[in-house]
Amino acid sequence: MTRDKGLKGQMRVIEVILASLVIVFALSFANILAIVPTSPKYEATELEKLGYNVLHDLDKQGLLPRFVYKEEWENLTAALRVTLPFDVSFNMTVYNLDGIKINDKPIFYGEITTFTISKNVASVTYGLVGYAERGEKGEYMAKYDPRILILQLSRG
Amino acid sequence: MVNAVYDHVMAILVVGAVFVGAVIILPTMSSINIKAVDEQQLRNTALNVFNTMLLDTGYPLYWGSIRDFKKNDPRVQRFGLASAEDSTLYVLDPDKVQRLVVGNPLNYCDYNRVKDMLGLNEYGFRLRIVPPFNVTFLKHERTGNMLYYEAKVHYLDGGPIPNAMVSAIVICAGQKGSGELYFNITRFPSIKTNEMGICSCTVNLAAPSDITINYDVVILRVTVADVATLVISSQQPINNTIARINIVYDEIILTSWKDPPDYNDVKQQENVWILHIATLDSKGSIWNWMDNDEPTGSQDPMFNSGKGPFERWSSKFIGLHDSDPVIVIFDFWADDGTGQGGRRQIIITTPYPQLLGTNIFEFGPIPKSGCTTAKVQRSVMISGMTYTSELTLWKESP
Repeated sequence: MTRDKGLKGQMRVIEVILASLVIVFALSFANILAIVPTSPKYEATELEKLGYNVLHDLDKQGLLPRFVYKEEWENLTAALRVTLPFDVSFNMTVYNLDGIKINDKPIFYGEITTFTISKNVASVTYGLVGYAERGEKGEYMAKYDPRILILQLSRG
Repeated sequence: MVNAVYDHVMAILVVGAVFVGAVIILPTMSSINIKAVDEQQLRNTALNVFNTMLLDTGYPLYWGSIRDFKKNDPRVQRFGLASAEDSTLYVLDPDKVQRLVVGNPLNYCDYNRVKDMLGLNEYGFRLRIVPPFNVTFLKHERTGNMLYYEAKVHYLDGGPIPNAMVSAIVICAGQKGSGELYFNITRFPSIKTNEMGICSCTVNLAAPSDITINYDVVILRVTVADVATLVISSQQPINNTIARINIVYDEIILTSWKDPPDYNDVKQQENVWILHIATLDSKGSIWNWMDNDEPTGSQDPMFNSGKGPFERWSSKFIGLHDSDPVIVIFDFWADDGTGQGGRRQIIITTPYPQLLGTNIFEFGPIPKSGCTTAKVQRSVMISGMTYTSELTLWKESP
């Protein structure tokens, strides 16, 4: 009788140990799988909003199509530098619809390594459909010639 | 036997409950997660607050233009800095922004009042409005009618800006041999900055030969890539001892430098006539609002710099607000401050205290070091000029 009780007691101890192990494993596993809302993601979101804000402003003023279609890359770089906060680095690439890079000069500000090292790089894609061209009779004609602008932003 | 099964079922249920509880609770227990969630909430709050500040007009719609504005005026029921006259986003009303300038002689809303209106009782914030670039005068000298100026245009990190368009507006004043006064504003063609960001030019003021010029100031309108413009003056703002110049909507108000005015200061008690008032807008256009050749009598616009109430002089000029003034030019017939009995002072200033030009506007305290902050930035327009506005938000311990 006393021996049976002793065996039962040992089994309880083993059960407790096994249960504890299950819990420890479960907790460790859950911690790995948990989606952690890290702040860099929000930093990137904020930079994206800032990028859209700046590109939209330039587009609204009619400057972005001018810079892109007349290939005024230096002016575009200067415009981005003065409208973006000075602690924000940027790298812009302009493509046509076939995915061919259009800008022959870099549209860039910041350290070269910023975009390779930094974990908080935001990317903004902005499309331009075309531009207005003046015809022979002085009338304006819309010319369809899409450009895809990819603006990468990083702080620091 | 039944007891043993019952024990096992119970054990499985308890272990299962502990497991599920642990899976739910553990991620929230992690300090990194707590910090991240905190930061996310802070960022969302900052974004909402910033949108309220920059996109909402507040109530009343023209609360910044209330003429007899009281400090922390209770008539302002909702806070917002957006212009009520412009449907475009992120266009701010300078009348509203100037109501945040602490020390504004025509009163302002202080930090705590703005915090209350925004419902930020548990938070601290700091608002900054930063110019897009900087302009520094390097040289400014005149020999006869020939005036030479040199300026450097640079990014905020100090890097030079080549190819910036610089147009000069020169204000000169003097006297003819017969005693007749001379005042002239001339605009000169644009030049570009070189690779070092420097522009220099010699201009001919072309004043008549019988004029002795004894005052000249260069105002530069600098535009980078057609997107950002700054208008700055070569005159140092410390020269002004006559009156503070303020604009509220269409009204120009001159106020005493001292509040209350020092009536015992005999030296300060003298009559001042206003000869000319002109403003410049961000496009470089000159707007003449008053043009008097001579200080003839008391019927002319004049005031006494020592006597009278805090508000020395005021006058409405219809269309002044719509002209988006960024520089105000005042030509006073007053003691020139040299102590040699000369008269004439020309004051060139921004129409709003500490706003526009290369000034950095700051409102609110600096966050304590080590506390988590969220920073949001947007490009905004004030009086036709682009600035970067920046909001820093942090949680304050109760």
